Amino acid sequence: MTTSVKAAIEVRALRKEFPVRDKGIFGPRGVKRAVDGLDLDVPRGRITGLLGLNGAGKTTTIKTVATLLRPTSGRVTVDGLDTVTDARAVRRRINLIAGGERMVYTRMTGRENLWYFGQLYDVPKKELRPRIDDLLALVGLTDVADTMVERYSRGMTQRLAIARGLVNRPAYLLLDEPTLGLDAPIARDLRRVVARLAEEGTGVLLTSHYLAEVEELCGHVYVISAGRHLAAGSPAELKAATGTHRTIRLTVTTPSPATAAVATRFGADLELLPTGAELITLRHPDDMAGPLAAAIVEAGGSIGGLEIAEASLEDAILALADGSREAATV
Amino acid sequence: MPIAWATAWRTWQMTRRAYPWTYAVGTVLPAALAISLAYLGYHAIGGGTVAADFQQGSGTTAYLAYVVVGATAFQFTVRLILWSAKALITEQRQGTLGALLVAPAGRFPYLLGFTVFAVLSSLVEFLTLGLVIAALGVSVPVSSAAGALLGALALVAAVFALSVGLGGLMIAAGEAHISQNTVFIVLGLVGGFTFPRDYLPLWAQWFAELLPTTSAMDVLHGAFTGGQSLPDLLPRLGVCALLTAAYLLLGLLYLPRAEARAVERTY
Repeated sequence: MTTSVKAAIEVRALRKEFPVRDKGIFGPRGVKRAVDGLDLDVPRGRITGLLGLNGAGKTTTIKTVATLLRPTSGRVTVDGLDTVTDARAVRRRINLIAGGERMVYTRMTGRENLWYFGQLYDVPKKELRPRIDDLLALVGLTDVADTMVERYSRGMTQRLAIARGLVNRPAYLLLDEPTLGLDAPIARDLRRVVARLAEEGTGVLLTSHYLAEVEELCGHVYVISAGRHLAAGSPAELKAATGTHRTIRLTVTTPSPATAAVATRFGADLELLPTGAELITLRHPDDMAGPLAAAIVEAGGSIGGLEIAEASLEDAILALADGSREAATV
Repeated sequence: MPIAWATAWRTWQMTRRAYPWTYAVGTVLPAALAISLAYLGYHAIGGGTVAADFQQGSGTTAYLAYVVVGATAFQFTVRLILWSAKALITEQRQGTLGALLVAPAGRFPYLLGFTVFAVLSSLVEFLTLGLVIAALGVSVPVSSAAGALLGALALVAAVFALSVGLGGLMIAAGEAHISQNTVFIVLGLVGGFTFPRDYLPLWAQWFAELLPTTSAMDVLHGAFTGGQSLPDLLPRLGVCALLTAAYLLLGLLYLPRAEARAVERTY
């Protein structure tokens, strides 16, 4: 019998506890459970989001996958390799980019930094030089490649840290708030790079406070709260599952009982405006703008304006967090 | 060992950019002071002679030469510990520990790189100390050049082995000053650097035997002022090699746990 190893990061029943002292060094010892029985999968070629409010356990999870923390219980594997017993082999397949940490040497140039990390990852000498040039070009630092990092702006340092994270061409990239502190155009460029890497087969695990970024990039999202699994699915599935609806606002300049009947049939709210027009507001998970507008026109109404506000992933996460808090207080 | 060389080169570049050349002079001033004070004490208080018990314990009457060897070796030990043992906590303080730990490179060649840098830079720095010693007119006899070379290598290896575990303690505890200064005081007092260990209480002499640097210093003193030949020095070289291997093994086994603790501490 042969067993096949799944090409993915697999987190199974992960629990991570930290010892804490409540009142100074002589205070009683306690345990803070940061992650509590978490399961998740990060396959290659997909950007997987890990979302939650502050203190949800995102960074602890990502550091455990990165072999920096040992699980209290449970197991994390990368292509079947255990992050504790096969840590060195795992490290060859992954890399970590953390937005909140510097991760590069300030008294070295950008090029020297990438060269040194290339040595730490044992990148062959022939490959390293062109790869450094490619990475510097990728993050837009070619012109300052031989300038010391201490003269870089925060955004430039962060871009170099991103290049460092790619120096070993990782099969899996762990991104912990990678665009923190980056200017909008640079953040956009990074998102493009990440999307391209995923298209080329890299598995990406992403945490970010910028939910629009997660919504744009991630094919699958895990939502956690207090270290526990709360929900999972595509951004669209999460929005649907949480009942977050897009909002359609349609202004009828010639209201009539017939148009009011249409609005009632769709389950919309009606509001008479001071101009004499009528505002129809419909909240619905599906895109009902077309059918509603068509029905209003059929009923003899004239449309003065149509506005559609899409439900966001942020709405869904907030709804999940609220639900989690309510459940915790029941 | 490309990682060791890369780390040595990186450290050289960063140090060169961070400090002026006068830094090399400043680092050996404590040893120059220790030798100068010994010179004054020897002539002003001792009248240029040493007591019989010193000769019995050290195997020489050349007190100043004995102090020159010991003070230079002690300063070298301090420099090596400051570079090698503090390497990881320095990474932590400058925000690069995570990037280092997530890389597959082993810690042994990485720390060895710091030791290579420390040895090479110390050799340059100690030229300054040589000028001070020459100015005081102290000549150091060499009874076994091969023994002196092996003793120096043994001291480097012993300090490196100590530094691996000490570096782990530093990052696990998140502090360097108390631990490094405790080690410096203990080594300076019981390690047989600048005075014979016979002056110490018996328990301190036995404690000193547990430190790999003690036997390395016995070899160095024996090879310079002790009048010993290489075969005479081999037993102490063997003790040093065994203790060094034991400290290194324990340090390398402890280091991953210390690193995990360091990451947890910043949670």
